[in-house]
Amino acid sequence: MSRLRLSLLCLSLATLSAAGCKKTQEAGAGQGLRIQDIGSDTMVNLAQAWAEAYAAVHPEVSVEVSGGGSGVGIAALINGTADIANASRQLEPAELERARQARREPIEHIVGFDGLAIYVHKNNPLEQISIEQLSQIYAENGKIDSWSELGVKVPGAKSDEIVRVSRQNNSGTYAYFREHVVGKKSDFKFGSLDMNGSKEVVELVGRTPGAIGYSGFGYATSAVKFLRVSKTKDGPGVLPSLQTVQDKSYPISRPMFMFTPPNPARHVTDYLSWITSGAGQKIVEATGYVPLSKG
Amino acid sequence: MTTFAETPFVRARKRNELFAKLVFGAMAALLVTPLLSIVAYLVIQGAPLLSLDFLVSNPSNGMRAGGIWSALLGTIYLVTLSLLIAAPIGVLAAVYLNEYAEDNWFTRVINLAVVNLAGVPSIVHALFGLGAFVLAAGIGRSVLAASLTLSIMTLPVIIASTKEALSSVPRAFREACWNVGATRWQTIRGIVLPNSVSGILTGVILQVSRSAGETAPVMFTGAIFFRPIPEGDPFAYSIFDQCMALSMHLFSVTTQVNGAPPALPYATAVVLLGTVLAVNATAIGLRVYLRSRKKW
Repeated sequence: MSRLRLSLLCLSLATLSAAGCKKTQEAGAGQGLRIQDIGSDTMVNLAQAWAEAYAAVHPEVSVEVSGGGSGVGIAALINGTADIANASRQLEPAELERARQARREPIEHIVGFDGLAIYVHKNNPLEQISIEQLSQIYAENGKIDSWSELGVKVPGAKSDEIVRVSRQNNSGTYAYFREHVVGKKSDFKFGSLDMNGSKEVVELVGRTPGAIGYSGFGYATSAVKFLRVSKTKDGPGVLPSLQTVQDKSYPISRPMFMFTPPNPARHVTDYLSWITSGAGQKIVEATGYVPLSKG
Repeated sequence: MTTFAETPFVRARKRNELFAKLVFGAMAALLVTPLLSIVAYLVIQGAPLLSLDFLVSNPSNGMRAGGIWSALLGTIYLVTLSLLIAAPIGVLAAVYLNEYAEDNWFTRVINLAVVNLAGVPSIVHALFGLGAFVLAAGIGRSVLAASLTLSIMTLPVIIASTKEALSSVPRAFREACWNVGATRWQTIRGIVLPNSVSGILTGVILQVSRSAGETAPVMFTGAIFFRPIPEGDPFAYSIFDQCMALSMHLFSVTTQVNGAPPALPYATAVVLLGTVLAVNATAIGLRVYLRSRKKW
């Protein structure tokens, strides 16, 4: 019986607090403030690190982090089930349209940068690759299918074929790579291995000598190496690093966004300003991403 | 007196008998090996991290260190609440189906529904839970929505195992009871339930293990990647909160967290498996105890 009473109490409390939040958006008496933070799998570790550190400075705010992909976060924001949507891309026109219809046009906050590294197995002799070559490898009508076409022979690989590792199609990383490397209009070539997480891409490349893959540069392990990336075929190649992403000389880097609804609650804006402050940005760097440049 | 000599025919039969026994015995022994090797492997791999501290501290340092308190507590919440929802409905429905229902189209439809519900994959239950409880009913992603989803998933099995337990009570018992003028309800309360309670409870408790291990249904309806909660406070979640869950946590640390010590996923798996085995052991213990009190 006491259990029933307890849950009834919870029920009434939760209804009250939910109603309070919706109407007044006030920060309240500082009890049980919650932030639903949903979205990008690329950013989920960063969001988790922020939430963990924020709990130490503001124990009254509970930041609840879940992943699923940038699209999942944006959809949740439009549905009203998220306070913050993490996204490694901007809103697509269709999403923007739905947000307008729901009168929840999101506000964009840039919270850091991510360098998208091109990973190969550590024994792969290739050092550099151009955006054009990447497109030829990944795009539907691309002509490069084998390592010999890039002028190398990979020791330990089963065949000359390039094993393409990619991401599932609701990933922001996938969307970014498609738009900036594969080319907006073309699709991915069939037969790529589409992984469900950034870490899995790197792990698979580390196990497969003939593989190539893309993922955030914070995911590097000792079994893989970065390729220098150049804009044109014979241009200078750049390795992804803190400096090269911040000064934008590394060609495939992208901002990481947090979207909020039009009138975020006070504790949500407080959280966002903490994220963009020195304390929050230190965590960006520690997690393997690139902080906002100062000034 | 003549002695019976072993004819070749008898010898062949004996040989076949021995062979059959060996083959069947080997198959039965084979069943135990996967469980034992899984447990042994997990414990060996996870040993460096296993301690009481691991159970009662929160994940820290980007989920690379610390314990699994928030996930363990979440799983306990989910399983307990789903059991509180599913057990009464399931047991009462089974009593109706076994004791009251006549064999007509209505009963057949219900039975058919139960059997088919049991065959629905858990990912479909997950999507149903997301659509029905989270979105349509407006509960939102929460412990409650996830528990409701889990209870829908476990209901058919609870019904089936309860029906099994009820029908193991001999029909003669009921007839004797009716013949002294007892009503159906009196018979159920006085004769049928007391004689089948061990089977019913075992069936119900075994469902706990299934719901503790499910990832998909909770992932869509209430379990999250991370949430900081006070350590050691058993009332840290309310049923309208989202929570972490062991199964989901295991999935997260293996697929998303970079640079976690290799022992971490194994230690998490040991705790998940340990929870399930502990619950199963309780079920077996209870069964043994209740059986010993049976009078027939």
